[in-house]
Amino acid sequence: MRKDIFSSAILLAIAGVYYWVSTDIPTSTLEDEVGPRGLPVVLAILLAMVAVVIGTRAFMTAPVAGGAPEDVEAPWPRAMGMWLIGAAYIPAADFLGYWIALLLLISVVAFYEGMKFSWRSALVALGGATFFWLLFSVLLGVRVPEARLFG
Amino acid sequence: MEQFFTAVSMLFTTWVVPAALGGLIWGILGGATPGLSASITMALLLPFTYAMPPMPAIVMLATCYIGAEYGGSIPAILIRTPGTNASAATIMDGYEMNRQGRAGEALGLSLWSGVVGGLFGLAMLILLTEPLSRLALLFKPTTYFGLGILGLSVIASLSSKSLLKGLAAALVGLMISTIGTDPISGVSRFTFGAPDLLDGIAPLFVMVGLYAMTELMMRAGIMGNIIKPNASIRVRLPRLPMMKKVARSQAIGCGIGTVEGLMPGAGGTVAAFIAYNECKRWSKTPEEFGHGAPEGVAGPEAANNTVASASLIPLLSFGIPASNSGAVLLGGLLIHGLLPGPRLFEQNSDVVLGIYVGSFVADIAQVVVGAVILPLCVWLVNRPKPYRSAFILALILSGVYTVHMSLFDVGIVLASGMLGYFMKYFGYPFLPAVLGVVLGNLVESNYRRSLVLSGGDLGIFLEDPIAIGFFIAAALIMAGALLAEWRASRVRKAVSA
Repeated sequence: MRKDIFSSAILLAIAGVYYWVSTDIPTSTLEDEVGPRGLPVVLAILLAMVAVVIGTRAFMTAPVAGGAPEDVEAPWPRAMGMWLIGAAYIPAADFLGYWIALLLLISVVAFYEGMKFSWRSALVALGGATFFWLLFSVLLGVRVPEARLFG
Repeated sequence: MEQFFTAVSMLFTTWVVPAALGGLIWGILGGATPGLSASITMALLLPFTYAMPPMPAIVMLATCYIGAEYGGSIPAILIRTPGTNASAATIMDGYEMNRQGRAGEALGLSLWSGVVGGLFGLAMLILLTEPLSRLALLFKPTTYFGLGILGLSVIASLSSKSLLKGLAAALVGLMISTIGTDPISGVSRFTFGAPDLLDGIAPLFVMVGLYAMTELMMRAGIMGNIIKPNASIRVRLPRLPMMKKVARSQAIGCGIGTVEGLMPGAGGTVAAFIAYNECKRWSKTPEEFGHGAPEGVAGPEAANNTVASASLIPLLSFGIPASNSGAVLLGGLLIHGLLPGPRLFEQNSDVVLGIYVGSFVADIAQVVVGAVILPLCVWLVNRPKPYRSAFILALILSGVYTVHMSLFDVGIVLASGMLGYFMKYFGYPFLPAVLGVVLGNLVESNYRRSLVLSGGDLGIFLEDPIAIGFFIAAALIMAGALLAEWRASRVRKAVSA
C-alpha cells in the first residue's frame, strides 16, 4: 500500500509538471477547435484524477498481511547501478569511440554481475567488442561513434 | 488461385525465405535465452529491421515470434526455467520427461506441436484476416478515432491486477505520444528546443527500453540457473504412434490457441495453461500429467504456437495488438509507414502475402532449424549470466544507435528503461503504456480531423455507424473489466473476512 501512495504522489507530480509545460505550447494560425494544447491538458487532468483515486484507495485499504508473492527482483540500488553503466556508455562512446566504449561496457557489466576480472573475462570482453564492431561497422556499414578524444 | 501462384513465386524471387529463416533463428535463440521473452526478443530485433525494405522486415519480426515460442520451451524442458512466459506450462511435464532421461523426446514433441499449432494458426489467419479487414475500407477519420478508442479500451482487459494502474500507464503512454510536432497545426510540443525530439519519440525506443532495458535492471545481480543441461542432447521427433497419441491434445491446444489469440490480453501464456488443464481433463490417463505425460507438452506448445499466428488476426485487420509481442510487431509496421487494415491489403499486399508465406516457411523449417541449432541454444543456456547480461546490454545500445545513428536515441531508451523500472517496481503494467504511445497519434489526429470536417460539431461521431459500433465494443470491454475487478475485490474481501 505504501508503494501505491508513493506512486500516486509521483503521478500527481508528473501530471502537474506536464500541465505546467503544456501551458507554454505556442499558439498557431493553423489552430483547430481543439488546438495543440487540447489533448495535453485533458491528459494532465485525467492523470491527476487517477493518481488521486489510486492514493485515496491505498489510504483506505487495510494492508494485507504478507502481501502477494512478487517476482524475484534486484534491489533498487543494484538496478540503478546497471542503468548508470548504460548511461555512462553514451559519453564513453562519444569520447572514446564505439569499440573502446563497448569493451568497457562488457567488462564492467560482467564484473557488476559477479564475474571476477581474469584473463578469460578480458578476452571475452575483447572478443565481444570486436564481434559487435565487425557486425555493425563492417557488415552492416553503420557509421559507429568515433573517438573525439583521439581527434 | 492467382494469389497462390504469387505466393509460390515469392519463395524464389523475394527475400521472404532468408527473412523468415533469419527471424526464426533469432527467435529460437532469443526464446531459449532465459530472461528474454518473445516480446523482448522481437524488440531487440526491431532496430535491425529499420533499414530493411518493409516486407522482409515484417516477415522477420513475425517469424521471430514463431521461433521464440519454440525456443522458450528449450530451457523450460532442460533447466526448469521458462525461456518465455508462454512456455511456463511446458515445465510441468517437459522437465519431468527430462528427469526421466527423455529430454530429446520432450523437445521433439514441443517442436512437432509447434509446427502443428503454427500451421493451424496460419490457416485461421489467412481465412479470417482479409474478410475482417474489408470492413475497414469504409473507414473515415471518425471511424479511425473509434478504432483508436477501441484499441485503448483493450487496456481494461490488460490491467488484470488494477484497472486504475492500467489507465495511469496508458495516460503516461499517451503523454509520451504528444512529444514532437503537433499533427494538425505543426507547433512543437514538449521538445524543449531539442531538434531530436521534433519527430516525436518513436514507439520502437519506448518498447526496447520498457521491455529489454527494464528486464536487465530488474535482474541485475540475481544469479541465473544452476542446473546445467547436457550439451549432447539431441531432438527426437515423435514417430507415428506418438503423433497419434498426442493428436487430441494438439487439437485442444489449437482450438484454445485460436480463441485466446483473438482475445486482447489473453496471449500465449493463458492459452498454454488453459490447454494444459483441458488436455488433462479430457485425457484417458489424467494421473500421468505432471509425471512426464507427452500430452502435457503437446497441448500447451500447440496452444502457444497457434496464438503466435492467431494474434495477428486483430492486429492486421484493425491494428489492435492482443499481446506485448503484437504491440512490438505493430511498432514494426508503423516504423515502415504501414497502417494495418484494408489499405495494408490493397497497397502493401506483398507485405501481407509475405507474412503468410514467411510464417508457412518458418513453421515448416522449424523442424529442421529447431533441431540443428539446439546445441547452440544449449551453449547459450549454459553461458554465465554476467556475460549474457553484458552482451544483451551491448546489443541493445548498439542496435538502437543504428536506427538514426544517434546517441540521443540511446538516451531515450535508457530513459524508457528507467520509466519501466519504476512502473514494474510500483506494479504498473507495460502494455497500456505501449498502446498509449502507439495509438496516441491515431486517436488525437483523427479526433481533431473529424472536428475540422464538421466545423466543431461533435455529432459527427454519431453519424458514423462503424465508429458507434467501436464505441459500444469499447464500452463493453471496459464494463466487462470493471465487473471482473469488482468481483475480484468482493472475493478478496470475503477471503480476508
